[in-house]
Amino acid sequence: MEISKTSKAKLVASGVIPFAFLVIMIAYIFGPGADLLGLGVALPEITIEKVDFVGPEIVVTVRNTGPIPVEVVMADVNDRIQPAAIEPDRFLERFESATVRIPFDWNVAEPYIVGLTVGDGTRFEKEIAAAAPALVPNIELASFFAVIGTYVGIIPVMIGLLWLPFIKRISKNKYHFFLALTAGLLLFLGIDSIEEALEVSKESLAGSFNPVLLVATVTVLSFLGLYYSAEKLTKRAESSKMTKPVAIGLMIAIGIGLHNFGEGLAIGAAIGLGSIAFSTFLIVGFALHNTTEGIAIAAPLSRGKLMVGKLAALGMIAGAPAIFGAWVGGFVYSPFTSVVFLSVGAGAIFQVIVIILKWIREEGDRNLSSAAVASGFAVGMVVMYLTSILI
Amino acid sequence: MVFALAITAIFAAFYFAYPGLSDAKPEEKAFVTHNGAVMRTTGEVLDPIYTSQTVEFDPDKYLRQFNYGRVSALPDGKVLREFTIIAEDDKMMEVSPGVFYNVWTFNGTVPGPTIRATEGDVVRIKFINNGSKSHTMHFHGIHEAEMDGVFEIVGSKGQFTYEFEALPVGVHPYHCHVMPLEEHIVHGLYGVYIVDPKEGRPPADEMVMVLNGFDTDFDTENNFYAANSIPFYYQHHPIQINVDELIRVYVVNMVEFDPINNLHLHGNLYHYYPTGTDTVPSTYTDMITLSQTERGIMEFKYDYPGKYLFHAHKVEFSEKGWVGLFLVKGDSEETEYGN
Repeated sequence: MEISKTSKAKLVASGVIPFAFLVIMIAYIFGPGADLLGLGVALPEITIEKVDFVGPEIVVTVRNTGPIPVEVVMADVNDRIQPAAIEPDRFLERFESATVRIPFDWNVAEPYIVGLTVGDGTRFEKEIAAAAPALVPNIELASFFAVIGTYVGIIPVMIGLLWLPFIKRISKNKYHFFLALTAGLLLFLGIDSIEEALEVSKESLAGSFNPVLLVATVTVLSFLGLYYSAEKLTKRAESSKMTKPVAIGLMIAIGIGLHNFGEGLAIGAAIGLGSIAFSTFLIVGFALHNTTEGIAIAAPLSRGKLMVGKLAALGMIAGAPAIFGAWVGGFVYSPFTSVVFLSVGAGAIFQVIVIILKWIREEGDRNLSSAAVASGFAVGMVVMYLTSILI
Repeated sequence: MVFALAITAIFAAFYFAYPGLSDAKPEEKAFVTHNGAVMRTTGEVLDPIYTSQTVEFDPDKYLRQFNYGRVSALPDGKVLREFTIIAEDDKMMEVSPGVFYNVWTFNGTVPGPTIRATEGDVVRIKFINNGSKSHTMHFHGIHEAEMDGVFEIVGSKGQFTYEFEALPVGVHPYHCHVMPLEEHIVHGLYGVYIVDPKEGRPPADEMVMVLNGFDTDFDTENNFYAANSIPFYYQHHPIQINVDELIRVYVVNMVEFDPINNLHLHGNLYHYYPTGTDTVPSTYTDMITLSQTERGIMEFKYDYPGKYLFHAHKVEFSEKGWVGLFLVKGDSEETEYGN
């Protein structure tokens, strides 16, 4: 007993002592050793995250993204000073945000540069390519987005699922080809999601959020989270009625669903920003593109029993998030959330790829080196690339 | 556990994206926009025009303040005018409500004091540099080479005495002439030097307007423009003048970065004397265009009382502060109740 007590104390001590040294070191650096850091001049920084055109006003969402508190003291439109209101107040702590309302008789489709000046006279600006009235959430617009989401998400995925009977009848080698094709399609989608997330963060997210690392962190976290829960799910599938192909199909549907949420965000935001031509392109392109996502779900399922109900449910899981995405993108767009959602989608997709590759190995292709797998992967990527050109 | 973490992260993301839902202030205030509409807000008003002025520099005081120096007679009968000018470069001035900018000053203000002498007087200026950088005083006008304030650099804590005869008649700028010159000027080291003709000018309500600007974010473009430093000041505090009284404005353009500035008067025209060196006006107009350090004298009278705008007709400048009002007061008191 006594021996174990002292050893326990030793264990605690051995864990705590280095920590104590760490605390002392940090205390020294910020206290007496502060000169070592030579922090330089801390400059104020604000980020204009969003500009809405609401009635006779330009409504600006601004966030303090610098290292020190700031005071927003002046607003301008096209570099001409305008009286404005700031809510709740003009003093912004780190990461705090405020709304600046500038009464301004703006014209539809004209470009505007909105500027804000802080207390030391530094001016920050954001350019809006074309002014368009902010979308007001109402039933009509919500159902319009729902219809678009259905066209982009649900219908193409369902069409893709129609290939299921065909995949069911083919040989094992050809089946591996289609599984690899799925992985290829998904890899493309994953990279696409990350690219999209980086693009949004570059355009509207402040440097202090470390956008690239944010994308990396969220992607890895969602990959790990889904990988862990997928393992649980497939293990439970073995003991329950759910077959392994259905479990994998479900994982794929979830991954694609998150990606489609991102696509919905893009469409909603494009309509919200008034770029009608661009949003039309997105709708047509995504719809065509998403047919291949149906194949991705169909491929693993073809080895189980054909269950129309389950299939339809998976199609909905994969496709319906496009509708929610369009709502969020159109009505409550925020660059931070769209970056997070796109990254979650990317992580989910990478997790699905790993599961599929694992499955091909379990099915017999140990080294993933057969012609079927290699060509399937390649064809998947190429098909996605070619359909992506349409967007 | 990992999944829970991911969910927490997503909720945290929502917090970052949509904060500020909590602390709402119930009280509402209203303000008037440029086009006269009334806007209500529960927040604060950002407005350089309609809020009360908090700035330290007083453009009203500067407008009509002329410094004649300590006057004494020299043995040869000439009038000696002595001035003391101290340069500093560490002052933070509120150049527009809420905007603090490091100004470099003569006697603590931008513009520096208006120095006034009569043609032929001897002007002696004891210049003390209390700044951390080198500075000088370069006067436009006629003087000896060593009084030009260009090669006689006055270092930190140094002194120099400028002495010259007041010549020629007119309105002239003075400014620091240390390289990099533009930096020293845009930080505020300039002022006005007026030389009156011996016979004097007709009596008038006289004022000085220095057209200037501030580049507060150092991108070689002005963020603010003004007459006498504070943007929109005279729009909020109209300059009060009397109907039928002769008004004489000494205008000096000290705007850097922009090739021209101008001055347009509403409801009236003025006689304009470029540089003020000639006693005959060159033109009768409501619009003059001035390049850097171009200056002149405007003379006019208002026939009708009321509010009259004056501003840069380079509208960008007026929308960034270079705009003001004359409030012309009628002589009704005199006619109705007077003798």
